[in-house]
Amino acid sequence: TAGNKIFHFGSCRISVSVTEIRSGFAAIKANIQARDPIRTLSILSYPHSLHKVKSSDRCCITYQLFNFYVDKVFKHCKTEDSYVNRKISSIANSFLSVKRKLGQCHEQNKCMCGQESTEKFKQILANYEGLNVTSAAIKSLGELDILLDWME
Amino acid sequence: EDALLPAPQNISILSTNMKHFLTWSPVIVQGETVRYSVEFQGEYEREYANESWIPICECSLITATVCNITEDISATVAYNLRVRADVGARRSEWGTLKGFFNRITTSLTPPLMKVIADGYHLLVELEDMGPAFQFCVLYWKKGQESRMQQKVVKEVGSVVHLDTMEAGPEYCVKAQTYVEAINRSSSFSQTQCVRAQGGRSMWL
Repeated sequence: TAGNKIFHFGSCRISVSVTEIRSGFAAIKANIQARDPIRTLSILSYPHSLHKVKSSDRCCITYQLFNFYVDKVFKHCKTEDSYVNRKISSIANSFLSVKRKLGQCHEQNKCMCGQESTEKFKQILANYEGLNVTSAAIKSLGELDILLDWME
Repeated sequence: EDALLPAPQNISILSTNMKHFLTWSPVIVQGETVRYSVEFQGEYEREYANESWIPICECSLITATVCNITEDISATVAYNLRVRADVGARRSEWGTLKGFFNRITTSLTPPLMKVIADGYHLLVELEDMGPAFQFCVLYWKKGQESRMQQKVVKEVGSVVHLDTMEAGPEYCVKAQTYVEAINRSSSFSQTQCVRAQGGRSMWL
């Protein structure tokens, strides 16, 4: 496929190069998940899956999650492997590009945050802050496909 | 560390059809082999990762004065790029690309295209330019430009069937590429026309 996907969150419409993000993640997924010893815990899916989020809240939770990954996660994922670091950079820069687009929707009040998405995001932050920062960041990065699958 | 070695100059980007290359002028040191190393920095690194730089290992200590940076320029944001030279223990300062590079500025060329009349079938074969590329194909009966038809081709694997032709008139085709990641299109290719010949391929 051509690689880009148009996401419609109500009146917020954004193009995301999903294929590029997925191929970058696929290249390092095994390496990253191998660095996460606690496979029973989840940052994004505990206690409830993202699929529980109401469609009216999808834009806001997506916007919050892209902010979360850009602001908190990627910077704590540096590894000793320069190939992995390059792929993380490519994902991070793609996320930054999407975060900007969602930010514009948010500013134009097209990406409103309801009670549910606020609660869900609080839970994700609590899961994240329940671990030491590097473990939490690596685990979050390892769950990227959960986010992409849910988005798609 | 001895930094007498001059930094690489004339650093520039050659970017065509979403393939991006960094080039620079060679640093001349008589009787010595000069090696170069390239690093990049995306907008994310500038704004969220302490302006860190990331080495491109395929372009570490190379003797060539060109580096394929396509794989690392994988987001539509502004990138910084830099190169330095090494000769033995001597190392230059970094030479940095003037201004940023964003892949949105890549130059897009019209696609290579082959139009085939297979009996009464109007077919087109398009160049595979990579997953980022879609194609917009326009086709019409010669003289009836106002009734031009369009087909969007998202995956180039095989020959694309456009239409079933009538015997006699010529049918014309032209195509352009479209890259969704940067929301830009190339100009159209040259128009090619063919005519149906009962059962035999005919190329005009």
